Amino acid sequence: MMAKSVADDSRQVNLAIGLIRLGARLQVLQSETQMSYERLLHLYKEVAGKSPCKGQLPFSSSWFLSWQPNIHASLFLNIYRYLSKASAMESIDAIMKAYKLYSEQIAACNLEPLLSFTRAWKLVQLLDDAKLTTTGCTCCGGHFVTDPLEDASTFECGPCAPPARAGKGPGAMGLLH
Amino acid sequence: MTDAQLLADIRDANLTYLMLAQTLIRKDREQALFRLGISDDAADMLVALSPAQVLKTASTNMLLCRFRVDDDLVWNLLTDHSIPHNAPHAEAASEPRSDRASISRLHANILMAGHFAEVL
Repeated sequence: MMAKSVADDSRQVNLAIGLIRLGARLQVLQSETQMSYERLLHLYKEVAGKSPCKGQLPFSSSWFLSWQPNIHASLFLNIYRYLSKASAMESIDAIMKAYKLYSEQIAACNLEPLLSFTRAWKLVQLLDDAKLTTTGCTCCGGHFVTDPLEDASTFECGPCAPPARAGKGPGAMGLLH
Repeated sequence: MTDAQLLADIRDANLTYLMLAQTLIRKDREQALFRLGISDDAADMLVALSPAQVLKTASTNMLLCRFRVDDDLVWNLLTDHSIPHNAPHAEAASEPRSDRASISRLHANILMAGHFAEVL
């Protein structure tokens, strides 16, 4: 689809550049802009200096529910909700700003960002589609990403009730830094 | 420290806070709302202050920025004092301290971001 005006076109290109810089996959760009595949591909190579990753996006909602990814996802989501509540913004702008704040916070804790931008974007979609939800922890009161079928009356979040082997498995790379 | 010095220090802190807040809001308004923990309306008022008004507003005997952490749980997580530790494993005690500290900080950040979303 052709962009309607030069100004709109420029806005879209800027959005696409911002997304590529945050590490978004090509599918995210296709979904969030009206630019053609060829233009996006060209832009991607120009901005990222390499060809985009091929293959499907990580679609699984279960990734967000494992212990460590859940903490990262919940942090991102709380920031995202704060931003969307505090001001009227397009969802994609809120995702981008929240992701920057999330990355900052993770860097301040000397951790690796487990949540990629594409995953963060997917997370918001999954919540919109009610494939995931947030539940308040009965222990600390914080809101965490959970399965929609989670029992809210007994839910305890990851940090409040860490599994016995938390942070010891092969997936513990994000922590041991 | 004399009272005059205290007042001067409060004024300096207020000035620094107001100028930083204005810079943050002008740079990226939405992120500033999150960083400062203030409402949209408050941001409007802050950013509209002229330098003369900033000076005048800062000269008071009260601090203009408020403490953001007002519950024990978040405070303990942030300062890493009493970390709730339910892991039944004996070896869990030998877990690297930085791990638990990092998780505590993330936990505190989740609670703070969530808490302020409710306040707005």
